Amino acid sequence: MSDMNSSTGPSSDSDYLLLAIETSCDETSVALVRNGREVLSNIISSQIETHKKFGGVVPEIASRKHVESITIIIEQALREAGVSLPDIDAVAVTQGPGLIGALLVGVVAAKSLSLALDVPLIGTHHIAGHIYANHLVGDIIYPAIALVVSGGHTEIVLLEEEGKFRIIGRTRDDAVGEAYDKVARALHFPYPGGPYVDKLAQEATEEVVLPRAWLEPDSYDFSFSGLKSAVLSEINRSRMKGESPDFSALARGFQQSVIDVVTTKAIRAAKEFGVRQMLLCGGVAANRGLRDRLSSLCEEAGLPLLIPTNKLCTDNAAMIAAAADLKYRRGQFSSLDLKAEPILSLEDWSV
Amino acid sequence: MKRYEKKSDDSSVTVLSFDTSTAAFTAAIVRDGILIDSIISFTERNHSVRILSEIKELLSRNGLQGTDLDAVAVGQGPGSYTGVRIAVTAAKTLAWAWSKPLIGVSSLEALAYGAWQGLQEANEDMAQDRDTWIIPLMDARRGQVYTSRFTTDHCGKWEAVDGDGIRLIVDWAKRIEEEATLESQVAAIWFVGETAPHQATIELAEQSGARLRIMACDMNAAAVGQLAELRFRRGERDDIHTFVPNYTQITEAEAKLLAASRGE
Ligand SMILES: [Zn+2]
Repeated sequence: MSDMNSSTGPSSDSDYLLLAIETSCDETSVALVRNGREVLSNIISSQIETHKKFGGVVPEIASRKHVESITIIIEQALREAGVSLPDIDAVAVTQGPGLIGALLVGVVAAKSLSLALDVPLIGTHHIAGHIYANHLVGDIIYPAIALVVSGGHTEIVLLEEEGKFRIIGRTRDDAVGEAYDKVARALHFPYPGGPYVDKLAQEATEEVVLPRAWLEPDSYDFSFSGLKSAVLSEINRSRMKGESPDFSALARGFQQSVIDVVTTKAIRAAKEFGVRQMLLCGGVAANRGLRDRLSSLCEEAGLPLLIPTNKLCTDNAAMIAAAADLKYRRGQFSSLDLKAEPILSLEDWSV
Repeated sequence: MKRYEKKSDDSSVTVLSFDTSTAAFTAAIVRDGILIDSIISFTERNHSVRILSEIKELLSRNGLQGTDLDAVAVGQGPGSYTGVRIAVTAAKTLAWAWSKPLIGVSSLEALAYGAWQGLQEANEDMAQDRDTWIIPLMDARRGQVYTSRFTTDHCGKWEAVDGDGIRLIVDWAKRIEEEATLESQVAAIWFVGETAPHQATIELAEQSGARLRIMACDMNAAAVGQLAELRFRRGERDDIHTFVPNYTQITEAEAKLLAASRGE
């Protein structure tokens, strides 16, 4: 593979076609993207219906589903893009983080394509993918702050320049999406309950004010497990008194606390590091309440805000192509011995 | 839809085969039933790391490209869930990308077939006119094995008696022993494969009748390729898109859900 690591990478101005695969959790996704930005196809096969009856993603079932659909989705992505295998210049795949058994299917499929087509392979960081989903909807101006909110991640990432990631804040316990799902379960919503909580909070007329976990004054870290416990104890308290808990007021209280903390910290980081743009991304970026609040705070601060479309916020392969483009243009390729990593450092993945 | 390329000399068949259902990573090139070259490695516990570079090396050192192959053959399991998925995913993707037929072979059958060839080569004391049972074993923890049963003789017979399944070794060994005692046509019984964890249980199952013999051996992709070639020559092909590992059982989560729905 040494030939692939040479410095004479493809020049940045030539047209190229990337096939990207994402299988880090419960979505099998394959995309064809031209020049890192033009999405020709982005097929997402969701397993949500399968996992619903288990109340969450079952890793072994997710892995089995990925094997069932992988070549079907690859073929569908090619067909929809109107391209054929020999047109592909490189293959990108989510290397991590994620569920190991699920990642393995994508990684092995990508390596097989790389071998069969004799094209370079690019192991890609899932969170870099979420962040660079923004590059599919607009231009990123550096330095920028990315607020990453998803089922598995809650991070504030500073991008001082293109492809350089520095994590300045992260959750110390639950991710935002995880907290949403747990609260949704307490409010008797089916899995995945995040969108129901968002909707209920939007419609609420009352609010049970819940605590904000600011942590240390200078910290950009998060903690949501206390907030989740506060919701549960409010429900218990009402029941002890023989009342029925006001779910909508609780949903609003929970949502307000989460949004308050994440947006305030993101804006404070933006000011401290003097960034020129805010990027919102991850599955929870589809949350209406969060979008609205961050938009108005950014407007107040005179900070341009990018948010990918809902489809590009959830796990998808086009975002993996968008991040892999950073490496493709620099000729930084992976060897055929690429290893799926359930835990993978974003900072180390920097170009 | 993909079409399989017809090769000009269609008498010769070249198969790339591999299996990752056990602790061994094994890949082979088999042409017309003859092993051309093979790789077996136990170094990486995670077969996903080296599988494609090993296949690439195997092909290139034999001057082969994907286009030179007639089929891609793979051990379909059972075995380690994660392990089987690695080979099956690679086989599906390679076969699809190369537009080559995919042929799945039971990993247990390949284990048994490879062992049988080894036994014949070793010229074991086998009766010429009677049958031998080959019983492949893969450890499946908690006293369980993935296993099946084949009957064979020196005239080329090779038939499955029991299909692939997960069984308790203590019951399975006892059943084999009892059936062999009643079956006068059976001259020898061989438990082969991952036998070490179950040796004591098998020995205990031996009562007065049939002698249960044991031979530890590793998975060999040559057997996967040879069995696949037989299927290939019979015109059998697997559908690439719907091809999945044979896990032999549903997941624990599904089993629990099923039990709950039955009110258990
Ligand atoms: Zn994600």
